[in-house]
Amino acid sequence: MSAMIEMKNVTKEFKVLNRREGLKGSLKDLFSRDYKIVRAVDDISMHIEQGEMVGYLGPNGAGKSTTIKMMTGVLEPTSGEILVGGNVPYQNRTKNAQEIGVVFGQRSQLWWALPLIESFRILKDIYQIPNEKYENMLALYRSLVDIDPLLHKPIRQMSLGQRTLSDILAAFLHDPKIVFLDEPTIGLDVSMKSKIRTLIHALNQEKKTTVILTTHDMGDVDALCQRIVIIDKGKMLYDNDMAHLKSFFGSYRTLKIRTDGAMKQQAQTIQQEFSAFSVTADEERISILVDEDQSKVIDVLAQIQKTYAIRDMQLEEISTENVIQKIYEEGVQ
Amino acid sequence: MSLKKYLTLTRAGIMESLQFRLATAVMVIGNLLYLIIVYYLWKAIYASAGTDVVNGMTFTDTLIYLVLATALFNFMEMYTVWEMGRNIQTGKIVLDLLKPMEYQRYLFWSFSGTFITQFFFTFLPTFLVVAFVTQGTIPLGLNLLYFMISVVMAIVINYSMDFLVGTICLYTESIWGINIMKQVVVLLLSGATIPIAFFPEPLKTVMFYLPFQSIYHAPLTILLSRASDSQQLLTTLGTQLFWCVVMMLLSKLFWKLSLRQITVNGG
Amino acid sequence: MKRKGLSFYVRIYLKILAQDIKSKMSYRTDFIISTIGMIFTNISGFVSFWILFRNFPSINGWNYDEMLFLYGFSLVSLTPVQCFFDNNWSLRMYVYSGDFIKYCFRPINLFFYYQSEVFDIKGLGQFAFGIGTLVYAWGKIGLAVTPFMLLKMVVFLLTASFIMIALQNAAAATCFWIQNSFYLLDLTFRFKDYAKYPITIFSPVFRFIFTFVIPIAFIAYYPSLVVLRPDAVPILSWISPIIGIIFLWFSYKIWMLGAMKYSGTGS
Repeated sequence: MSAMIEMKNVTKEFKVLNRREGLKGSLKDLFSRDYKIVRAVDDISMHIEQGEMVGYLGPNGAGKSTTIKMMTGVLEPTSGEILVGGNVPYQNRTKNAQEIGVVFGQRSQLWWALPLIESFRILKDIYQIPNEKYENMLALYRSLVDIDPLLHKPIRQMSLGQRTLSDILAAFLHDPKIVFLDEPTIGLDVSMKSKIRTLIHALNQEKKTTVILTTHDMGDVDALCQRIVIIDKGKMLYDNDMAHLKSFFGSYRTLKIRTDGAMKQQAQTIQQEFSAFSVTADEERISILVDEDQSKVIDVLAQIQKTYAIRDMQLEEISTENVIQKIYEEGVQ
Repeated sequence: MSLKKYLTLTRAGIMESLQFRLATAVMVIGNLLYLIIVYYLWKAIYASAGTDVVNGMTFTDTLIYLVLATALFNFMEMYTVWEMGRNIQTGKIVLDLLKPMEYQRYLFWSFSGTFITQFFFTFLPTFLVVAFVTQGTIPLGLNLLYFMISVVMAIVINYSMDFLVGTICLYTESIWGINIMKQVVVLLLSGATIPIAFFPEPLKTVMFYLPFQSIYHAPLTILLSRASDSQQLLTTLGTQLFWCVVMMLLSKLFWKLSLRQITVNGG
Repeated sequence: MKRKGLSFYVRIYLKILAQDIKSKMSYRTDFIISTIGMIFTNISGFVSFWILFRNFPSINGWNYDEMLFLYGFSLVSLTPVQCFFDNNWSLRMYVYSGDFIKYCFRPINLFFYYQSEVFDIKGLGQFAFGIGTLVYAWGKIGLAVTPFMLLKMVVFLLTASFIMIALQNAAAATCFWIQNSFYLLDLTFRFKDYAKYPITIFSPVFRFIFTFVIPIAFIAYYPSLVVLRPDAVPILSWISPIIGIIFLWFSYKIWMLGAMKYSGTGS
């Protein structure tokens, strides 16, 4: 298999204005300015093969979008090399654009006032998609999702979920080698999230499209990616398969419950009962970090219920922030 | 009513407008070029006329009038209609309505910071240059004080009118169309593009009964009048005050009614 | 992949245009109000013009009908920029919010893709006004109607519109460097109002500036000399088509340079 994306020691620096505070500061800024260099992406290398689905994770401002912009040819790296499908993206933006598809979670790239099908027809011309391929693609879409009600609806009348779905379909329309998905499930409800995940998975399987997925949502990664790359403050923290990360973290979930009575004291007794897990409590609720390889959440819950009356409960996936914190604390590679 | 919460908005506005340093420079240079065009154009016009005084105005009078009208325009035009239209279209208006302040006031005080920066960066320099170049044509005395009072009222009239027109955007999405109509009518009928003295008599009479001349014509006449005719001064300021109150009430009423209609219909 | 020639772009433009008009028709009120706004703008332009000439019979040796011709000429030459490049007005908003990035991922020319998104029908109303004025002035002056004259008109109207497009592109593109480019755009928009006056009214320094730096003299004056004063056509008029193309190319380059430099706000 050939490398779809090859990055070698890529760094990107920005010049950022240091703004002074207050009214006096604003007046000073008018006459003298003070810049600093910020390294948004710092010496990142990676190699992605055809058909891979890679989760690209990091907190806000970690440098994810900057990396994506460099891969798509919008930004030129300060140093280092990037090859996307054999092209140097920033040197040949239009040629590169022919080979990629891009979706930004909350920014539709489709024609706002036009029905989806008209956007498709214009895209067909722009990407010079042959009739037969275009029809096949539409047929494939029909088999995967119920697109007919969407086709004749203008984008501006769609819900966020429908819009995202439309944008994803539009991004795959010209059968690109690589599709970049930036926060595709942001702001969507659970059922729409799963619908979109299923669609992305199916398209990746069917077309062998390489997919780069940036997200905050560990659920997306869990459902879709075999491999994950984590960056923080511009530096690469982790690049390995999902299974490896899982084996390291176990399958942790946080169980949050609210009971009658003094929760801080109850937390202490629960801690004694489940010595393997860490239990914390505040005035609102008790949190138990459950390792599902050791015991099921349901069993823990059942055990607690024998002693205390549970008023309310919540189950939380381990968050990107948790993962990064753990990596910092303990190291993985 | 505590003034402090309004002044906070003024301060934020000043800080925001100062951040665009290059934009400020562009604005100053652009205005200069614009003034140069106006200068040469009218010089040529007067040269072709063959007489020094047309409709009671000399070349210098006309020039000062037009230059300061432009400067006034630059500092009074806050693109309120645009701002309201956009907020209504994007739905941001809902957030603004939730602020613990009347929307009309909130918007006005948000703009007030820009008024102040604009005053110092465009109006004052222009005024000083004009006063210096024309040496003594602008009387510098008590009229400056009356002028300031007149300008404040002009700002209020202009803003109320903008707000009134902006409210129409609650009913229709056509921001551009509404804004351009307002702008064109105001600029022409307020005497901002051509001094009212040049208009034919019947049109002058009509304009006298409309609020527009209170925005540009009134403050400029006060500034430029040499004779201290207190009768005329009082008439001008009185008319302005009248329109101030009327426009404020009208815009407030229209906004209230429209808002009720919109919230009832859930539009 | 096939080569993307002119026919490719024309086909895509027509496709988007057809769809755009279809969807515009669904906003009937907006369309009507905008049209009325456009008519207002033109009427107010004529009224100002008329008031001016009521007081002054000629400007710098140009009589009423000739000035009317210049006026009509500038209206027609402003049509293309109004119709095809209106999206320039939204550019700063897209850049400011970071939404401009969405235009960067298509395998076609970025400038084309951006401008193709909006076609402004209102420009056609202005076109009608302009043509009407031109025809009227043409008859009044008693110009001949020969194929050569008409050819000259077409060529020089195109030249003038190139210059206007170039000016607007360059002004809009400044938002890639300075965040608040609205003032500059608005200024260019206002400058065009003065394009209809003969350049000879200016002093040599500004004649130079308005010819080569901010080339508004090419919007109406130089090109129409070819038709109006065929005995004394300056060399600048004859080469103005070339100058127009050069300016247009430059403005395109500036626009693209800015777009390439653009990296989106926020990460």
